[in-house]
Amino acid sequence: MNTSPLPVRIAAHALAGLVLAFLVLPILAVVPASFNHATFIYLPPKAVSWRWYNSFFADKEWMTTLLNSLEVAVLVTLLSVALGTLAALGLERMGRRGRMAMAGLFMAPMIVPVIITGVALYRSAIEIGLSGTTWAVLLGHTVLALPLVIINVGISLRAVDPNWLRAATGLGASPWTVFRSITLPNILPGLVGGGVFAFLTSFDEVVVSIFLAGHQGKTLPVKMWEAIRIELTPEAAVAATMMILLAVVLFVAARFATRHKEASR
Amino acid sequence: MTDPLTARRDLGLALRFAAISKHYGSVEALRPTDLEVRPGEFLTLLGPSGSGKTTLLNLTAGYLEPTSGSVFIGERDVTRVPARHRNVGMVFQNYALFPHMTVEKNVAYGLKVRGVAQPEIVRRVAEALAQVQLESFGKRTIQQMSGGQQQRVALARALVIEPDVLLMDEPLGALDRQLRKTVQLELRRLHEAHRRTTIYVTHDQEEALVLSDRVAVMRDGRIMQIGTAAELYGHPADVFVAGFIGESNLLPAKVTAIMGQVVEAEVPALGRRVTAGLLPGLVVGGAAKLLIRPEHLLLDAPGEAIEATVEETVYLGELLALALVLRDGTKVWLRRFADREIPRGSRVRVGWQPDALRILPE
Repeated sequence: MNTSPLPVRIAAHALAGLVLAFLVLPILAVVPASFNHATFIYLPPKAVSWRWYNSFFADKEWMTTLLNSLEVAVLVTLLSVALGTLAALGLERMGRRGRMAMAGLFMAPMIVPVIITGVALYRSAIEIGLSGTTWAVLLGHTVLALPLVIINVGISLRAVDPNWLRAATGLGASPWTVFRSITLPNILPGLVGGGVFAFLTSFDEVVVSIFLAGHQGKTLPVKMWEAIRIELTPEAAVAATMMILLAVVLFVAARFATRHKEASR
Repeated sequence: MTDPLTARRDLGLALRFAAISKHYGSVEALRPTDLEVRPGEFLTLLGPSGSGKTTLLNLTAGYLEPTSGSVFIGERDVTRVPARHRNVGMVFQNYALFPHMTVEKNVAYGLKVRGVAQPEIVRRVAEALAQVQLESFGKRTIQQMSGGQQQRVALARALVIEPDVLLMDEPLGALDRQLRKTVQLELRRLHEAHRRTTIYVTHDQEEALVLSDRVAVMRDGRIMQIGTAAELYGHPADVFVAGFIGESNLLPAKVTAIMGQVVEAEVPALGRRVTAGLLPGLVVGGAAKLLIRPEHLLLDAPGEAIEATVEETVYLGELLALALVLRDGTKVWLRRFADREIPRGSRVRVGWQPDALRILPE
């Protein structure tokens, strides 16, 4: 790259800048929009105010759906990290062929179009009488989040030397002790990373949620979708800003958590 | 007065394998093998990779289940005992130190999971680290330790649990040559001090000869010969063992007669018949190899001798190695003290020590 002539370098940087702008600007645009004073979303805002923030936090339904989303996302994180870690550990121990087949099944929700997963889950939820409940949303999101946890934990498991486990066993540790004291500390970065992905997958999920959430299980993105379709109030921009903020905070935190681990390696 | 035997409190337990074998599908990693390691003995399994030595080690530790046969530690049949209840210490080839723990925590691990009280853990860890001369390194992370130091941490971790049997899987494989020599002597000192029953795996014959009470030479999942270094060197059972331990000249031969415990063979390269002790596997009319160690070939010696040309000379410090071409074109190596110069191309008469000749089955 450094040996390229100056005009080429300038062009390359400009192109990269344009692509970045294309990716990020539409998202960032909601931030000024949320500070709008007007009843419609204007860009740039004519007058800056906290008006819509106040109304967002005062509105019962926005608050219910926000708390609902947080609750579901936390539970999805816990559930998918627990199940995904078990699955990754199991896959690691399987023979080559079995692993390929099983991994394919676990990864399916990432490959199948979400709309199809949504319809399928909707049908199943009706079948077992869970349709429209928070439970249905929770389980549906877990299906989507699981592959991300399995991939993350699987990658960090590959760095665990089987001889560490043998050594610990030979020194007298039970299988559970070996897992807790040797495996777990070494795959923690993968667990944290997988957990962040699982949380965000659930927190910003719309398609499956629209199918599964009734009034009881309605999540923030579903409420946003409704708000934008029906009324297009700046409260939706406030909600979007909150989500972006949370995503950034989580990624930075996860980065710190894993970087700290790597540094102590 | 104390009995010197009971004063040695660390004397290890005997280890015995009865017809033990391991198959992977149709692959025989270890053929049915009987082997007894004496209490306090240092036994080395020597052989090329794939010869079954690591398999035997893993069967001892309990990391593998045998296809058939049994393992006894002392009087106890441990064949079905899980690894964590065998009280066997293992030093891995890559050391397998826990990367997220300090040196101290690594060494303490075995005591901690056994529920030893904290003050005793502290005392015994300090003792173990002192034994491998790492007293002041307890608080370091594994990444701060050099390869040689890591090797000693691994040894301390295996020794601190006072294992009945100590296993070492090519523990010096990753160290440079200079360091290997130092660590070899260190290992020998530690073994002398504790007399812990030890199985050591290596493919390095020098290591095997320096360290061991006895050496078992393995090939294709079976023990070809077991004995002291001198026995293996002086009386190898076959061509493989002869080639694996020490330098050797192996000349084609044909068995012409067997008289009691003596075998006679025709050796075309020497142009005559020679005799040696009879070994199993030799039959009249069958092909064999004549083994002459380079130091058993003699220059200008009285007695039987043949003509040869010096093709190459190599100085090895106090020793001189000569590559000699015999009349029929066969090349042999001769070693002697470098007390005089022998120019390349000179014609010499080469004799041999008759009682050092060995006729080996192919």
